[in-house]
Amino acid sequence: MNRRQFLKTTGAASAALGSVGLGFFGYEAGRDPESYTGWELHEGALQTFNRKRYAKDQPHYKRVGTTSRPDARTDVIFYRRGDFMRNWKDETGIEGLPEHLQAYYKKYPDVLEQDIYQMKEVFPKMRVDYQKYRDKFILASAWSNAMGAVSPQPINQPPEESDFPRKRRFGGTTEPLKMKSPEKTSKLIKQIAHQLGSTLVGIAKLNPDWVYSYPMRGRGFEPDKPVAIPEHWQYAVVVGTPMSWDPMYANPNFGTSNDAYSRSRIVAFRVASFIKQLGYAARPHTPGTSYDLMVPPIAIDAGLGEQGRHGVMITPELGCNIRPAIITTNIPLVPDKPIDFGVQSFCKTCKICAEQCPSGAIPFGDRVEVRGYQRYKIDTEKCHTFWNQNLGNMGCRICIAVCPYTRKANWLHKAALQVSANDPTGISHSVLTGLQKRFYPGPDPQKYYSPSFGGENASFRKPPWWLRAEDFIEF
Amino acid sequence: MSFFNSGLFWFIQGIFVCLIVVGFKIWMEDREIPMPFWKWLLLGIWVLLFGFTIAFVGTNLGEKEPQAALLGGIVFGLIAIITAVGLWRLLLIGKNPKK
Ligand code: SF4
Ligand code: SF4
Repeated sequence: MNRRQFLKTTGAASAALGSVGLGFFGYEAGRDPESYTGWELHEGALQTFNRKRYAKDQPHYKRVGTTSRPDARTDVIFYRRGDFMRNWKDETGIEGLPEHLQAYYKKYPDVLEQDIYQMKEVFPKMRVDYQKYRDKFILASAWSNAMGAVSPQPINQPPEESDFPRKRRFGGTTEPLKMKSPEKTSKLIKQIAHQLGSTLVGIAKLNPDWVYSYPMRGRGFEPDKPVAIPEHWQYAVVVGTPMSWDPMYANPNFGTSNDAYSRSRIVAFRVASFIKQLGYAARPHTPGTSYDLMVPPIAIDAGLGEQGRHGVMITPELGCNIRPAIITTNIPLVPDKPIDFGVQSFCKTCKICAEQCPSGAIPFGDRVEVRGYQRYKIDTEKCHTFWNQNLGNMGCRICIAVCPYTRKANWLHKAALQVSANDPTGISHSVLTGLQKRFYPGPDPQKYYSPSFGGENASFRKPPWWLRAEDFIEF
Repeated sequence: MSFFNSGLFWFIQGIFVCLIVVGFKIWMEDREIPMPFWKWLLLGIWVLLFGFTIAFVGTNLGEKEPQAALLGGIVFGLIAIITAVGLWRLLLIGKNPKK
């Protein structure tokens, strides 16, 4: 073999080996646990998206009417339905309910119908299904409860008492330390939040419209008295962590919110503690139900993401797989700007979440006015009723799992994100939506239901091996 | 991180690419097919498309998305084959007809 022949042969062999290598690279990239991005690094190394490039002066939702604050007693469905079930009596009907509930149900009679349906029809049927089919989800449930088993002490004092630093030892002062500049403080707080376990961090100036007009129970406010927004709630530091990826794709039943709730809760309490030790006020607002305000719009104001059609915030790094928490504070900070990376345009064509939502809670239509702001509005009653019509862990999260933005952080999906974020024409949004629907379809949404409601206890994707109860437990 | 996700893997891939370019250049010279800049450019684009197809299939298998791997393999593979035929015709432009 002469030199030329040798080089030709080597070139051909390289082409073959290189191609095979690319196949293996792809396979590894697809299964690489490091692409389950989010909670494993504490250095902020995963907040990689160049937000400055997509920053806007105003968030994508618009103020279109007179704004009003949400009432935690009625607008927060968990709270309202709990109250409703505690107080409802057939003999007295609506007149036997507390005044605020009466007023709410008189304004929205269809909501009352749905709340009654859940109590009288859904729960009795689900009790029967629970006995028959629950075994399949035993490990998922044990794992979910274990994730939520460790929690900081809940806050049950009013802001004036709980938010401020305690007396120091040895005559140390609780006076605020003199910080060099809000810019430096913001940089510091963000890095500290990452170090304390947050995947994403942003800062917003607190818009009073997002603070509840009436409080949740157990947060130190007088129940049924309007909430006066404390002066020291000037800024909101938003932190957040993702749910475990494999179970999240196996929703509505194998996934849980508890894991990310628990992590974000702990991060928020840690960040609040750090700020207090600098002598400033800080109050954590944490999942599941320990808030004095609405979290998603504040996270959007802080530039972490945009609201999707499903009502959930979509971030560039984690898609919608993020559970945020907030720390309100008076330490001087520089707010981040909201971002526009193409989600509004994408959601106009995509609608995959609306097609996959078993309860029909996600709109196919356009955004509407909600308390003075234009946004997508999901039917929370239908959504929450479905939460109680599937047997696995509490909740559903299918809309999070099926959203094309909620994908692993490998080369393929990162490239798709960059294409869609930088396409002002929207052409790539239609193409990517088409590919998503054909390449990554989900089951018929009816199958997600429990058998008593005509379903098969299906999940979007198979659960990971460690949640398959039948492989570990003799039934 | 496995070998196929490591810097070493991409270093070796880089060596392969150099060898492919040299081998291909000699092969084309032997056939007296001229390779101006634009042909190399088109060839490079096609190689990216081909590489994308292989990596797409692999990634989706790794993600346990067999339907995406299969459909993607068929769709992008067909595009790669069709463009390869077109590309070969373009590469033949300027070939010495006697050879
Ligand atoms: S959580 Fe489930 S039921 Fe609720 S909107 Fe999302 S997909 Fe629909
Ligand atoms: S699934 Fe599609 S329509 Fe729904 S939020 Fe995600 S991108 Fe928007």
